[in-house]
Amino acid sequence: MIDIRNVSRTYARGADLVHALERVSLRIPAGRFVALMGPSGSGKSTLLNLLAGLDRPDAGEVVVAGQALSQLDEDGLAAWRARHVGLVFQFYNLLPVLTAIENVELPLLLTSLPRAERRRRAATALDAVGLAPRAAHRPRQLSGGEQQRVAIARAIVTDPDLIVADEPTGDLDAKSAVEILTLLSELNRAFEKTVVMVTHDPRAERFVDAVFHLDKGVLVNGGPP
Amino acid sequence: MTYPRLVLRNLLRHPLRTLFTTLSIALSIFLVCAVLTLPAALDAMFERAASNVRISVHHKAGLTYWLPFSSVQKVRGIPGVAGVDHYSWFGGIYDEPKNLFPNFAMDPDDVEAVWPDYGIDPAALARFRKTRNGALVGEQTMRKFGWRIGQEITLRGTIFPVDLTLQLVGVIPAASGNPLVLWFNRKYLDEAMEGRGGFPRVGMIWVRAERPEDVPRIIHAVDDLFRNSEAETAAESEKSFYTSFFSSFRGFIRVILAVGVLVVGAVVLIAANTSAMGVRERIPELAILKSLGFRRRPLLAVLMAESALVALLGGLLGAGGAYGIFRALGAAGKTGGAVPFLGPLGAFRVSATVGMEGVAIALLVGLVAGMVPAWNGARLNVVEALRRLF
Amino acid sequence: MAIPLAYNVRSLLVRRWTSLFTLGGIALVVAATMLLAALVGGLQQMLVSTGEPDNLIVLRKGATSDGSSQLSREAGQVLRTLAGVARGPDGTPLASRELVNQPFIRTRAGGRENVLVRGVEPTALAVHRAVRLVEGRMFRPNLGEVVVGRGTLARYRGAGVGSQIEFGRRRWTVVGVFDSGGTAFDSEIWADVNDVQNDTRRDGYSGVRLQLDSGADRYAVVQRIASDGRFTLEAKPEAAYYREQADNANALYLLVLTLAVVMATGAVFGALNTMYAAVASRTAEIGTLRALGFGRGAILVSFLSESLLLAGAGLIVGMGLAAIAVLAINTLLSGVQFSMMTFSVATVLLRLSPGGALLGGLFAGAIGVLGGLAPAWRAAHLRVVDALHRA
Repeated sequence: MIDIRNVSRTYARGADLVHALERVSLRIPAGRFVALMGPSGSGKSTLLNLLAGLDRPDAGEVVVAGQALSQLDEDGLAAWRARHVGLVFQFYNLLPVLTAIENVELPLLLTSLPRAERRRRAATALDAVGLAPRAAHRPRQLSGGEQQRVAIARAIVTDPDLIVADEPTGDLDAKSAVEILTLLSELNRAFEKTVVMVTHDPRAERFVDAVFHLDKGVLVNGGPP
Repeated sequence: MTYPRLVLRNLLRHPLRTLFTTLSIALSIFLVCAVLTLPAALDAMFERAASNVRISVHHKAGLTYWLPFSSVQKVRGIPGVAGVDHYSWFGGIYDEPKNLFPNFAMDPDDVEAVWPDYGIDPAALARFRKTRNGALVGEQTMRKFGWRIGQEITLRGTIFPVDLTLQLVGVIPAASGNPLVLWFNRKYLDEAMEGRGGFPRVGMIWVRAERPEDVPRIIHAVDDLFRNSEAETAAESEKSFYTSFFSSFRGFIRVILAVGVLVVGAVVLIAANTSAMGVRERIPELAILKSLGFRRRPLLAVLMAESALVALLGGLLGAGGAYGIFRALGAAGKTGGAVPFLGPLGAFRVSATVGMEGVAIALLVGLVAGMVPAWNGARLNVVEALRRLF
Repeated sequence: MAIPLAYNVRSLLVRRWTSLFTLGGIALVVAATMLLAALVGGLQQMLVSTGEPDNLIVLRKGATSDGSSQLSREAGQVLRTLAGVARGPDGTPLASRELVNQPFIRTRAGGRENVLVRGVEPTALAVHRAVRLVEGRMFRPNLGEVVVGRGTLARYRGAGVGSQIEFGRRRWTVVGVFDSGGTAFDSEIWADVNDVQNDTRRDGYSGVRLQLDSGADRYAVVQRIASDGRFTLEAKPEAAYYREQADNANALYLLVLTLAVVMATGAVFGALNTMYAAVASRTAEIGTLRALGFGRGAILVSFLSESLLLAGAGLIVGMGLAAIAVLAINTLLSGVQFSMMTFSVATVLLRLSPGGALLGGLFAGAIGVLGGLAPAWRAAHLRVVDALHRA
């Protein structure tokens, strides 16, 4: 499903050049729940950005579900993301001025669905993460775990092929963290969504099918945990 | 790290924002200065042109009523009178109607006695007395049309059925307070009018008293002289004359000033906004500073100083700009006639006083705008703020 | 698809004080602009009567207004009897020979002002068709009777039907009030021209108004008058005359425009500050939206809309403020006194016009666009990856 071939990415930080990724190759079959792990600065977030279409490699090829991302321009990537990828971030990244259900509805605005249909699907997604009663609440009225669940609902509302999560449990307490990991795992199993997760969290290992380790921009080892 | 340096660093932290705020204030103060020139011009007119020894004598019924020529000699006879000159509005047009400037027929021989404070060059006065069709012109009018001494100009009559060709022999300095007027010899007008029934009348009489204390007495004496005659007079001090003359402008100026107030209000809001933004962003820093032991008052001072400094810079820029731009326009003769309605007020002279008023307003704006955000910032509860940080 | 406007509205509401202050700044600029425009509008209204389509105004050649013109008794007589001049039902020519004077008059408040007294013939009401008597009757000649314009009633001592009014060398009796539809005539006093000549010890007139026959060749009459070698006169259609008067007010409009541009520029900087701050504080949101798939165009439009929303709200408040100010000035101060270079004073009522509102709207729009464009551009061109990690 995901085919990463010989990908390198370097960027400038001040006067220095940081080689985030060096000739990394990786394959993830469809329907897997995969973790990318490694110390800080290992390049795992960079790799995640590349396969989510948020960034472009300096060298190499990223192919997701048959689409070579290099063939898409900026606007094309945006459209592709909207259709094929669901994003979950460490700090939830919900729009504070929108209610829970409005946040979930956001990605649907990029489709041509009529308003009633959008509302219906958003409600369904919110229900799937167990937060239907909190639909009209704003993010500041929700706990960390609840906000992340709203974010996950937003990630699945367009029925994407791929869910990408960047440190989804990084800001949560132990109980909420486990809830989120469980939820992701359910999504993976019940709906056959490919899930790629960057994480520090050692608890993640028992939820995933495979773990890839990165260090200093290089894939160290990868395979079932 | 000194306090002034802290202030400066903070301002440079967001250079664009500081620049925008400064420019915004500068533009508004520029406007405020332009607006302030109007009442300042009115006052200047009274200060300079209205000496405290000159008296205007006109017909009781109005300025459009003539006084008989013989009145002039009668007024001369009043004790305490240092000089008397008659003054008749000709209302001639030079070139285009919209270039209207005041022009009067009068007696060149009496100019020195009645207007010694105008500072007219004695040589010019001598020429004025000698040249039959000579004319003295106010500096501003001279500059506006680009005239030169020795040049001949023609004034087309409006209320008089004659056109007059005059030779410019001298300048009335702008410092006199009467920079627009043109004076020519009344005898020249008499000659022109000879074939049309003559002109044995004057519009007004100007009197100069020997001492300021004599003014009230002379005023009474003049009116007594002509009471119950064909032409009853209403004499008044020059100040009083100009005050009534321009009183009609006051309403208009009040509206313009109201606009100025609105502009200042807008500036206060913009400056306050900037100040508030700055403080809000620096809550974590302020919390840390306070936790380190910095006390409330110095912090308040720093925050107020930032706001005041930006406003001051903007004020200097705006007032300076107004001074420079209007001065240049004035030198090029572009002001004065640009807005015919305002007449002499349209000169937009930005004096040093007006400039300082502008800067003072800017400073006030800075202090007012900075007050509430600075107070909130300094008063910050350290624990509360630090909690928000972590 | 676009980012919903509700996002922008709520974002503005969340940053309550900043939005309010910026809105206030814009509102004041709009109010100031509209106030100035109302002043000029009132002036124009006063100056520009459109004039009667069939009327000519005859003045001394080169004179700018009938306050600064002079023509002789003989000229007046000749003009009156010109071919082409219409005649009333009783055969009198519809010509109004007029003598304009500016005597002092006492105001009700105790001050002294110049008032425009127009010495006219009884035919004046027929010639100036827009002027109507609304109270009392027209004066009879040679009796020291006058009719006063509506605008004088509140202002001058003795201005009321039946009372005596004092100006010039004598007292006059007010026998009627006229209305001219808001033009400058409303501030005038009309008296018999002979009485005015006596009072000012003058012979002759300031100007003559002629009403032409509907079939008359207007240009031929104008030519006749101009080519008469005995006098130096110039005739022009009233409409043209008033249009020239209006040019003076147009110069003022230019001044207003300049002032407004300067004010608006100041406000633009204020808006820029606000919008840049908004973008800076919402970097994470912007990154999220882009990550979700909203294109750069959508972000640009969204932030630009936010700026325009703010400006729009400022416009509405500003219009309200201007309306209140105009109302206050007109009712409490009964307008603004204005003197033209002919020394007489007229009261100008401030007039809010659609033109003024349009001007205000234009400036609010410009402030919204100029204040929002650069920040919106920045927002749209944030690097997604950086924006997300700015959280």
